[in-house]
Amino acid sequence: MIVNKSEVVIGRIVLVIVLVLTLIPLANMLSAALQPAGDNPTGLTWPAHPQWSNFVTAFDTGHVWQLMGSSLLIVVVVVPVSLLFSTLAGYALGNLRMRGGRFVFIFLILGLTIPFEALIIPLYYQVQAIGVLNTQWAVILPLIGLYMPFSVVWMRAHFIGVPRELSEAARVDGATTLQEFRRIQLPLARPALSALAILLFLWTWNQFLLPVVLISDPLSRTVAGALTFFQGQYSSSIPLLNAGALIIIVPTIVVFIVFQRQFIRALLQGAVKG
Amino acid sequence: MAIFHTRAATRRRIAAVVAVATASVLALAGCAPGSSAPTTTKSTAVTTTLTSKKVHLTIADETGFPLTDKLTAEFTAQHPNITFTVTRDTFQNLTANAPKLLASSTPPDLIRLPMIGDTVKDGLLANLDPYFAAYGWDKWSASQLAPLRVNKDNVRGSGSLYQLGLGYSVTGIYMNTKLAAKVGITAPPATLAELESDMAAAKAKGILPLMEGDKDGVVNFVVQAAMNQYADKTQMMNWIMNVKGASYNTPGNVKGADLIRKWADAGYFPSDINAIDYPTFVSRFQAGEGLFTFNGNWAAADTQAKMGNGVTFFLVPPATAGAPHVAMGAANSFSVAAKSAHINEIVYFLNWIHTNAKARQIVLDVTGAAPGGDPTEAQPTAAPGSLTEQALKMSAQIGSENGQVDFMSNATAGIYAGAIIPESQLLVTGKISGQEFVTKVQDFYAQELAG
Amino acid sequence: MTTSIAPRRAAAHSAARRGTLVGWLFAAPALIAYCAFVIYPLLTGLQYSFYRWNGVGPSEWVGINNYVRVFTDPDLLGSIRNAFVLIAFFTIVPVAAGLVLATLIRSMRPGFFSSASQTILFLPQIIPLAAAGIGWSWMYAQTGAVNQLLSAVGLGSLARPWLGDFQTALPAVGLIGSWVLTGLCTVLFLTGIGKIDPSLYEAVRLDGANWAREFVTVTIPGLRQEIAVLVTITIIAALSSFDIIYTTTLGGPGRATLVPGISIYRIGFTQSEVGLASAFGIVLMILVLACVLPIQRLARVSDR
Repeated sequence: MIVNKSEVVIGRIVLVIVLVLTLIPLANMLSAALQPAGDNPTGLTWPAHPQWSNFVTAFDTGHVWQLMGSSLLIVVVVVPVSLLFSTLAGYALGNLRMRGGRFVFIFLILGLTIPFEALIIPLYYQVQAIGVLNTQWAVILPLIGLYMPFSVVWMRAHFIGVPRELSEAARVDGATTLQEFRRIQLPLARPALSALAILLFLWTWNQFLLPVVLISDPLSRTVAGALTFFQGQYSSSIPLLNAGALIIIVPTIVVFIVFQRQFIRALLQGAVKG
Repeated sequence: MAIFHTRAATRRRIAAVVAVATASVLALAGCAPGSSAPTTTKSTAVTTTLTSKKVHLTIADETGFPLTDKLTAEFTAQHPNITFTVTRDTFQNLTANAPKLLASSTPPDLIRLPMIGDTVKDGLLANLDPYFAAYGWDKWSASQLAPLRVNKDNVRGSGSLYQLGLGYSVTGIYMNTKLAAKVGITAPPATLAELESDMAAAKAKGILPLMEGDKDGVVNFVVQAAMNQYADKTQMMNWIMNVKGASYNTPGNVKGADLIRKWADAGYFPSDINAIDYPTFVSRFQAGEGLFTFNGNWAAADTQAKMGNGVTFFLVPPATAGAPHVAMGAANSFSVAAKSAHINEIVYFLNWIHTNAKARQIVLDVTGAAPGGDPTEAQPTAAPGSLTEQALKMSAQIGSENGQVDFMSNATAGIYAGAIIPESQLLVTGKISGQEFVTKVQDFYAQELAG
Repeated sequence: MTTSIAPRRAAAHSAARRGTLVGWLFAAPALIAYCAFVIYPLLTGLQYSFYRWNGVGPSEWVGINNYVRVFTDPDLLGSIRNAFVLIAFFTIVPVAAGLVLATLIRSMRPGFFSSASQTILFLPQIIPLAAAGIGWSWMYAQTGAVNQLLSAVGLGSLARPWLGDFQTALPAVGLIGSWVLTGLCTVLFLTGIGKIDPSLYEAVRLDGANWAREFVTVTIPGLRQEIAVLVTITIIAALSSFDIIYTTTLGGPGRATLVPGISIYRIGFTQSEVGLASAFGIVLMILVLACVLPIQRLARVSDR
């Protein structure tokens, strides 16, 4: 592509400005978190004596171990189960293409546009009726259901892209549907599955509304849902509040940086291909 | 986006889905949600002796108030067979979740419940009347317990006892005495007019007259304090207790709200008041910003620790010199869940808080609030000249002048978040008049009680 | 002939039937979870919306009264209006910024700077919105970085408590949304641009077109699909915003940043008016559908 010089320079400047603007809020949280805990910090100023111990204090007073454990429990159930259900259904809709599959697909698509807020009130009473209100299951069970539209549509998009000749060849060799699914389809679905896994991890880890409403004890929530508890706990200390918020952010950034390549690639394929 | 791809044929299928859904709704509509009759409290034999068995009790409290931690620790030290778990959430979340928590299959035994709402009507709270008789609570201050009663028409103020307080609060004005000296103020104001001239003097010297925050609506302390000096106390109480026909739209309330508008226009509040929450304005006042702040006795110990002798605490002055004082005060109210399996034990704990010398001292030390109970019982001790001691005296004075009113934000479950917070944010920035404030709050109240 | 074909046809038929049976079996767990926790609550929510119910006690059939209240209560209507204002910040700003940034990044040689830019721009998208709300409240505070920056460049007179000011609170909250969503838009557009035939760019450049012309005649038409996807996603995000508002303003000052999500939460849980809150939930869902479906249609029409 032929681009002239001034365009390149202006472009770079604009980009750098945007990047700085993107990072400022995070840097600002860090600078605030490092001020002495009893101070009311002002703006974005690097502290003379960074108080890294604030993170330790925030970690302890915020019961972060307990919160992370609770979050992890929710993630460890929600993500694998959602992956399993959506892979099976995606395979059925994308590869087996059974009769009525189109109907199922449309039925699921309707669910894509339903905001959680529209369901939260009835979900509350439903979870109460099941008897799991105020336990982690109150978030786990609804989340699996709420993730189904996106996850199934996502996996279906993958399975549609797999050449049907592969399945036919397997069936000619006498493989059952289940064998074919395990030996041929699953290995091929790896990239799509791992991207979906990362997405589901982030969504579950960051989930706020469901835990706030469905689990009354903040220490049994997801870490994001417990942020309201942090706000109460550290309300008089801006440094500790920011330290607490950063502690919650860090795992998501780590997961993202580690997996970003396959994540962005698969996200793009999935969303655009369909 | 292919994800959303639809064709004519599939559009027909969508129509089919919608039809099926509609049909099932019509089927569902046959049965109404909710129980038809309130659940009845299962009867437990009332006893005032503590069990020797191991019992674990749960308490739901708000964040930022460590009183229950200290009290439960002391109780377990005295009675090792009783252990506690205290869960905490923000005031906002706790008040939103409370009725649902109480109705759940595993309610906390004891819960901080600032607004009773429909909880009594729905049979969620344990009726404490049998314990009132068994423990002899008739010796306690009846006026302190009255707001904790609810009658058959769901009106507070009389009827059966459903709550007790972990400390009983009183509100007033904290004054930064160092700033006061700069302005030339030597004594607390004796009338509202004196208070106003003090604020005007501070403003003239470039000192912020009032350190308040209203992000979370706490300026309502100031609004109601002003109303209290003009309005009929009984009318205000009736309104808060939901007595039929009681109105918020009274000349006194309008006059009080107008005064706040006047102070807003005069620039007595911080310019970023709507971005300041409760902990922020308290810590900014303690850091020396602002001549006055309206707050309760619960902040006394902490304020003393931060400001030493540079602060004093007094009742909001009346409109005319010598008139009796009126101040907001309420029990730091807790209720026992009707479904609790350990009602005897948790009530024993509540009674212990009101009668045990150590517990009463903890209540005073942690909250600065009077522990209530039998007025003839020995009062816990506060350091001479301390804010806590002043707070105790203020409680006693309000008691003798019979000038306590409940907080207007306790009138209904939704009124604080739904009307008082947003309307007071408009009032303190001069966006609405006092009359508009009063009308909007009353409209919301009427609609909520009707709904 | 016929005799030999018939069994084969029958076999194919039974294979298809077997496929159908297995297919439904495979789809069953997902469908059951979906029906149990999306469709069922949706229907019960619809049912609640016709009742007056405090969530615990007895309920009373009130017909469409709750819907009438949603459409007549000025506070509730105000929250819907605020949600539509947020679309400007959640949709228009990120999509426009994303288009520009994507073309900028594409004009650079692939390398560390370009991939690092993508990572950084994407960061806000992956952190919990609730945490972003906390960080930004601090940015917007009277003593925060925004005011500090303004005074540093001599605009100190503009300094204000951004989230506590009636005029600026809603845009300030909206900008948090822009911050979160711009990265997503940029990265999606980048891949979209990658799929545009490079010869198209060469052709317009040879015609002497400048950057802007190229952008309008090649890039935007080539990204129609991506634009439709992102507009859809971001509109849903704008109309159903909750986390950010909850941790920054809770709807204040006054009702300047009240949005349907917060209203529903408050009405349903603090005020215990389950019927009204459910009705508002249904209205919110219909609003989202009403905004999103035409976009799908537009995208398809322009595809032809």
